[in-house]
Amino acid sequence: MDSLELNNLLEKYWNCDTSLEEEQKLKEYFRGEVPESMKETAQLFRYFEEQQKLSVGQSNFEAEVKKKIVAHRPKGKSVALYFNIARIAAGVLVVVAAGYFVRQEVRKAYPVEQEDTFSDPKLALEETKKALMMISNSFNKAHKEAGKINLFNEAEEKIQGKRADEKKVNI
Amino acid sequence: MNFESFETRVLPTKNKLFRFAFRLLGSQEEARDVVQEVMIKVWNGREQWATIENMEAWCMRITKNLSLDRLRSKQRKITDPIEDGFEIRQEGLTPQERTELDESMVQINELMTALPDKQRQVMHLRDIEGYSYNEICEILELDMSQVKVNLFRARNAVREKLVKLNAYGLS
Repeated sequence: MDSLELNNLLEKYWNCDTSLEEEQKLKEYFRGEVPESMKETAQLFRYFEEQQKLSVGQSNFEAEVKKKIVAHRPKGKSVALYFNIARIAAGVLVVVAAGYFVRQEVRKAYPVEQEDTFSDPKLALEETKKALMMISNSFNKAHKEAGKINLFNEAEEKIQGKRADEKKVNI
Repeated sequence: MNFESFETRVLPTKNKLFRFAFRLLGSQEEARDVVQEVMIKVWNGREQWATIENMEAWCMRITKNLSLDRLRSKQRKITDPIEDGFEIRQEGLTPQERTELDESMVQINELMTALPDKQRQVMHLRDIEGYSYNEICEILELDMSQVKVNLFRARNAVREKLVKLNAYGLS
């Protein structure tokens, strides 16, 4: 590149009219020996080229990123899934437990009425009769025994009657 | 949208992403973190890959956004912009020449760091990474005229300061 071409190109560069190819040409030119007057410009272009060599500087960087994204995906999904299932299960458990306790309270407050113990009405009638007969027998027995108490009553009446007679006699 | 296309289209951009993040954050450590974050984000959004025309520009854009988020959230300034990013290995130079070159690199880096954010970003993407104007628009979410104005100002500010620096021997 002769100095005229160089100066034209530089002029375009400072005015931001150069293409990427032309800028690349300038960078290449300034890699070599340059006249003293161009020293600062050369430094600038060398700086640009040097800066482009800078790398992330960690040899296992890619491996680390891969490890992270692979670990990231399936774990994240399954953990979220388990978490959701656990949430639903916990909700169901609360409802069931609450239902159970409420039922117990209700039972305490309203004791259950007698439940039917017989499914066949005839059988039930028989059993009822039997029970009533038993009660009736017991009553009869008791009645007989209670009859004995009448003896005392009669005796008392007789005694009172006699006394009354005696009084009449005395008067 | 699978692991292979991630390996061929996303992972190879790692150094470019790193340099851009480093330019914005000024810390290699943080830049590496951001690049890793970008890659995980791109992987997690792989359903959208079909709609992305330019994967590299897309990754660069995410890098820019995450880096700026970081800067904003920490309310921090770039404290040590020169760190150890200047591994200049020029064969065939005497130690004297190499030291001079190192110094000029540090100087230019400081000039670039002193530029306003947009100018610095545009200059980095164009002069160091060699992106087309259209790609820069896409990455920085700016229109063409803004990109060109910022690049023009950046190049001329650096040029002027560089000339001054060398003329007065302020180094």
